Amino acid sequence: MKYFCGIDIGSTATKIVLTDEEGKIAAHTTAPTGSHFHKNAVEALEALLCRQQIKRQDIGYIVSTGYGRKLFKEADETISEITANAAGARNSGEGAGTFRTIINIGGQDSKIILLDDEGHVKHFTMNDKCAAGTGRFLEMAARNLEIEVDELGDYHMKSTGVPATINSTCTVFAESEIISLMAGGHSREAIVAGIHYSIARRISRLAGKIGIEDKVFFDGGPALNRGLVASFEDELMREIVVPETPQITTAFGAAVIAQEAFAAEGEKINV
Amino acid sequence: MHTERFERVKKSTNLHFTMEADEALRKIEDFPSNPGAMGYFYDLFRSVYANGGSLTHKGTIIGTMCVQVPEELILAAGAVPFRLCNGAHAFDQAGAEFMPAKACSLARATVGMLHINRSVHKERLGMVVVPATCDQKRKAGELLREMGYNVYILEVPSSKNSEEARHYWQNSVKRFTAELQHLTGRKITKKSLGTAINLTNEARRQFRRLYNFRKISPPVVYGKDALLVSNAYFFDDKERWLQALTDLNNELELKALKGESVGNRHAPRILFTGSPPVFPHLKIPLLLEQSGAIVAADEVCSSTRMLYDAVAYDESALYDMIPSVADRYLKPCTCPFLVLNDDRRRRLKDMAGQFAIDGIVYQIFSGCHLYEMEQRTIAKTFADSGIPLLFLETDYSQEDTGQLSTRIEAFLESIKARKRRK
Repeated sequence: MKYFCGIDIGSTATKIVLTDEEGKIAAHTTAPTGSHFHKNAVEALEALLCRQQIKRQDIGYIVSTGYGRKLFKEADETISEITANAAGARNSGEGAGTFRTIINIGGQDSKIILLDDEGHVKHFTMNDKCAAGTGRFLEMAARNLEIEVDELGDYHMKSTGVPATINSTCTVFAESEIISLMAGGHSREAIVAGIHYSIARRISRLAGKIGIEDKVFFDGGPALNRGLVASFEDELMREIVVPETPQITTAFGAAVIAQEAFAAEGEKINV
Repeated sequence: MHTERFERVKKSTNLHFTMEADEALRKIEDFPSNPGAMGYFYDLFRSVYANGGSLTHKGTIIGTMCVQVPEELILAAGAVPFRLCNGAHAFDQAGAEFMPAKACSLARATVGMLHINRSVHKERLGMVVVPATCDQKRKAGELLREMGYNVYILEVPSSKNSEEARHYWQNSVKRFTAELQHLTGRKITKKSLGTAINLTNEARRQFRRLYNFRKISPPVVYGKDALLVSNAYFFDDKERWLQALTDLNNELELKALKGESVGNRHAPRILFTGSPPVFPHLKIPLLLEQSGAIVAADEVCSSTRMLYDAVAYDESALYDMIPSVADRYLKPCTCPFLVLNDDRRRRLKDMAGQFAIDGIVYQIFSGCHLYEMEQRTIAKTFADSGIPLLFLETDYSQEDTGQLSTRIEAFLESIKARKRRK
């Protein structure tokens, strides 16, 4: 049995996906990236292989992606996270063929990818060189509200009144805004909802620039946040498809590409 | 106290500039199989910028703030044209003192450079010619005048489509001719202008040879080298430049005959357009070629747009020659300061065909509204042609390099995937 490995070294987390010969996900793991990129990534891969009792030589091909992709020397190939994300979404099974737009929110950037009829990258755009409206922003907000990041969705869903207005998606300025909203007597629920709407609004402005189409596929860790998904649905006025484990879509895409590359190499050898 | 502080700012700005220039040159030279004849250009930039050397020119130097200044007239008046458009982040930061935070890096860096090194430049530059093209260049003229430069505003019409605009421009060029003669004390004659036109036309003829070599696939020359060659034209002695480029072309000709090429045979072929890359800010062309693409063609005022067209006159008499020089600068102009710019769309389409282009990269400097606005019509032009366009907003800082390289790699990957499926 051959396996194919996609490894996505992001700013916050390193995601690893192993696929089998049928292209199905055999195993996956998520580990903090930390400051020792390379060491942590290698350890996470070894731990995954050990857990699954898969031998290193059974991995046919490794493709790395994400910000740390170039530092992972064990990879046979590196690919940008945009191409990998598109490959992952197109093969994920959820809503396949019904969406031509991907929104990805990562730890330190957000992207919008448009696909052509065959599911390949047609156009894309990314946020500016700052963490506004990204996973890092949500972490900061949760810390200020003294709740956990994965509780944000529940707080949002419990919110009943008008969401509080957050004017800034800049992590630095929003921090003081959140503090003054709390001091002003706004409920945590209302503030959380307000934060989600401000992110959704920012991303939909970005999306408006490149013109989104059909349903929207939403991935990256923050897509686990139900409140954020609901805000995107409102702001984009479109149906949103969220895969089961949205944080590994890009790593899965890298594994898909690894399998394709392995097959292409095999052809070369056979010829 | 003030002067002491200024001297310190000047020292540190120039140090940072030298560092930038050195880093850019390292990156430019860090490619396999650089043509031997490029050595002249690498050395030229290293001696002038990275080693803090200076240029020696005979005669009055006339600084030009934009590609719209007719250099033939400057040469015919016995002076030396020197294009001031600057590409350094260090000077961009120095210029921020005078210009809006959102002003374009190029305009700001040029003003910054002239501010920081004013003691040298005020003495060297007999005149600074500021064409009234884009807003930032226009108002830079006022700033430079306040700094004590001898500024000449060259009026430019905002359209090239009417006969009135053409007359307006020709009259403006005539006034400029008179001013040049007044400054240098030398009369422009049909002989001196004829010599100047011959020299610049010969330079352009050699540039077109290089331009044509860039059409060859697999490529024989990197775009980064072509851009460096045209950047050298800003300040180098014209005759020496012409000889160096002739040598380079001869070498490339041989290379092409032998079937040698640079880079990957299947490298995506890129047409570069938008805000002009000026050394040391060759960030995006370099990122493209470091990521395995080839910048096969460019439509920018620091390269092809500056050197493509020649002057053509019928009669060897000043009354025909001067308007012909003027026409050469207005008719083929595709700068977005023009109210209507169908020519730019047409030219890009032509070039995309001629150079077998796989993708277009459109650079805009933050704050250049004109290029940013025109991006929409250009994108529309190519939307249905199957040639993808990547729009990159950037400035002279290196902060966005990580983001840019991800975007560039994704763009190239999508081009390669598209080619494979064809």
